Amino acid sequence: MKKNEPVAALLIILATVGTVVGILAYEKYARSGLYTVELIARSPLNGNWLARIPGGGWQSRKFTVPYGEETAIRIRNIETVSHGFALPDFKVEPPINEIKAGEVKIVKFVADKKGVFPFMCTVWCSNEHLQMNGEMTVE
Amino acid sequence: MVYGLWFMANSAFAAERLIEVKAKKFVYTPNIIKVNKGDTVKLRLISEDVHHGFFVDGYGVKTSAHPGQEGSLQFVADKAGRFNFRCSVTCGALHPYMIGYLYVSPNYLFWGGAFLVIFLGLISLISALRKKQKDERLKLFGIIPLDWRFPVTKFKPVRALLKSRWFPLLPIIFNLFVFTIILMAGFIGGLSAGNYNFGVMIVWILWWVLLMTFMVPIIGRFWCMMCPFPLIGDWIQRGKLVNVGRQKSWGLGKRWVSKWRNLWPLVVLFWVSTWFSGFFTVKPFATFVLLGAIILIAIITALFFEKRTFCLFICPVSGFQGLYSNFSLFGVRSRDPEICKKHVPKTCVVGSEKGYGCPWMELPYEMNRNTYCGLCFECLKTCPYDNMDVVLRPFGQDLFAERRRTDDVYNRRGTDEAFKALTMIGIFLSFFLAFQGPFGHLKDMVTAKTFGGYLGYLSESFSVDFLLLPGLTLLFAYLSKKFSGNKEVKLKQVFVNFAYCFVPVGLAVWAAFSLGIILPNGSYLLHIISDPFSWGWNLFGTSSIPWTPVFTGIMPYLQVLATAIGLLFALDFGYKFSLRTYATVEEAKRGWVPILVFLVGVHIFFIKLFTG
Repeated sequence: MKKNEPVAALLIILATVGTVVGILAYEKYARSGLYTVELIARSPLNGNWLARIPGGGWQSRKFTVPYGEETAIRIRNIETVSHGFALPDFKVEPPINEIKAGEVKIVKFVADKKGVFPFMCTVWCSNEHLQMNGEMTVE
Repeated sequence: MVYGLWFMANSAFAAERLIEVKAKKFVYTPNIIKVNKGDTVKLRLISEDVHHGFFVDGYGVKTSAHPGQEGSLQFVADKAGRFNFRCSVTCGALHPYMIGYLYVSPNYLFWGGAFLVIFLGLISLISALRKKQKDERLKLFGIIPLDWRFPVTKFKPVRALLKSRWFPLLPIIFNLFVFTIILMAGFIGGLSAGNYNFGVMIVWILWWVLLMTFMVPIIGRFWCMMCPFPLIGDWIQRGKLVNVGRQKSWGLGKRWVSKWRNLWPLVVLFWVSTWFSGFFTVKPFATFVLLGAIILIAIITALFFEKRTFCLFICPVSGFQGLYSNFSLFGVRSRDPEICKKHVPKTCVVGSEKGYGCPWMELPYEMNRNTYCGLCFECLKTCPYDNMDVVLRPFGQDLFAERRRTDDVYNRRGTDEAFKALTMIGIFLSFFLAFQGPFGHLKDMVTAKTFGGYLGYLSESFSVDFLLLPGLTLLFAYLSKKFSGNKEVKLKQVFVNFAYCFVPVGLAVWAAFSLGIILPNGSYLLHIISDPFSWGWNLFGTSSIPWTPVFTGIMPYLQVLATAIGLLFALDFGYKFSLRTYATVEEAKRGWVPILVFLVGVHIFFIKLFTG
């Protein structure tokens, strides 16, 4: 009977704090190796594209990838409408027609050219759809 | 050309129907399409804002359209009835509720359903009129005695489980784990699509549907048993998590205002919480805020008030679970009243070293109604004579129980429970029309697109829930009293007694409503358990399963069936209420007629809502 209290406390801490820590750790350590850049797709009125480079913080409509390497971009559509993604100067695999609301896609390409290249949304997502674009720097 | 089509559509021959549908968040124009059975429907779908889809329930055909890139669809309307067509591409917060109606006439189901309702009404009327004298024992449908009981705790493992201090703590800890993920998903999900969010889907699709179709009608306050929200409050009050700590609260332990020791606070609070239904049922962050607020209020209440005051008088979803669990199959009851009479002090009330005095402030030894029993099983643990049982009994036993509770006013049949039963019907109506109806302007009102529209929704909801439905019930109660010829009985008593007919009715229409939510949208659950945070996870390999509506063809039939079952119980109970209300069988027969007409009318309206 005396051992009951610590066991219950442990179970409760595991169910709450343990769950949160476990989820964040899994995402950070087990999955961050899957991609180099994380892109969040948002309509221009909601803040437009947002990019995160591992260890590099957040940037609006801009990101940089290293030259000559295979790059993986994880694109998360956190909105309630469909978006798309195109990087016309590179051969992106697998090609993407549409990223539906709530969907996450990982695309890969080899950054074999140096310079600044445009990327954009390919699905009519709002009246401001044509402004939903950004620039990728390869260096 | 148009005239020709119109002419052909009205002829008995199969025709070709060209229909152009415009889709816009969250309504189709036209929102109602009428064709005849056998027609070939050729449809053009044009989107006016974002990528929308068009899926036809029962037919399973679909198309989609981007702005400037139309979709097309062709099918033969070979199934008759009313079918929802709904958006199949997530297009915004209210996407799962973007719906239109396709009528393929003749609508056999509506006429069949309405006929069924009238038929049941007639059967009930005939059997009531043939009655000569009051039965000695009330029997459900004239077969199962309503006072029949079977103690499930007769089985030793069941009693051992319920007497363990780890039960129901372990289910509570499991739900704590689930709700931790729900809160996290709600917070991370922000304003993203609700149908791809773990929090929104588990709470408003899975939990609500399980509650209304299984938990409440079968086991009563089964959810209250394993709800994780009061855990922290209990710990603060008791100083122990699993073992028995202080019987008297560590907090202030104040008593709830005696005027409000009834369902009235919950009638009002649940109604107020439906003001925000257009937000927290679709937006993850709103779900987070709502659940977070409930958890905080539960903790604060536990600090100031005694025991489970929060569950009894504040938790918005407690009220209907309490009222409806009077219909449920299970209940906690004492076995031998003689043992209880001699037992002093009563450990089920004051507690012992084995468990706490009833946290729900019931008197378990004389409890005969379920409204305020939270199924915590403390009384099974504290009773030294194993005189407390969990009993299986016929549906609705408690609806006939008069409570003679001496210490307090609560847990009696009264206007509070009557209004709870009636407001639940009104809330169902608003929810059905807004979330399963084809009316775009109603969706705009509920989600407060304009302030004026939102005020319109609130005043509509108030008028229907607190004026129209109680008013109609009062009117028919008045007619019932007039017809019966009984001058002694008070009108208030007639109103309250017959309002309990709406307990099985409420459960039935909410179950029918739930089917309309889970069958089309249940497949999202497979996605969200694999990818709860929309981070691209695939825990169980099910995250790429697309939206797949199931059984949408038989859904209206199931809804008609649920409505008919609700009516069957309402008619059976209603006549028994009449016998109890009036002095003689003759008065009861005459007094029953207006109520029967009212119930049949209400159910024809429900059939119209689901199929017509």
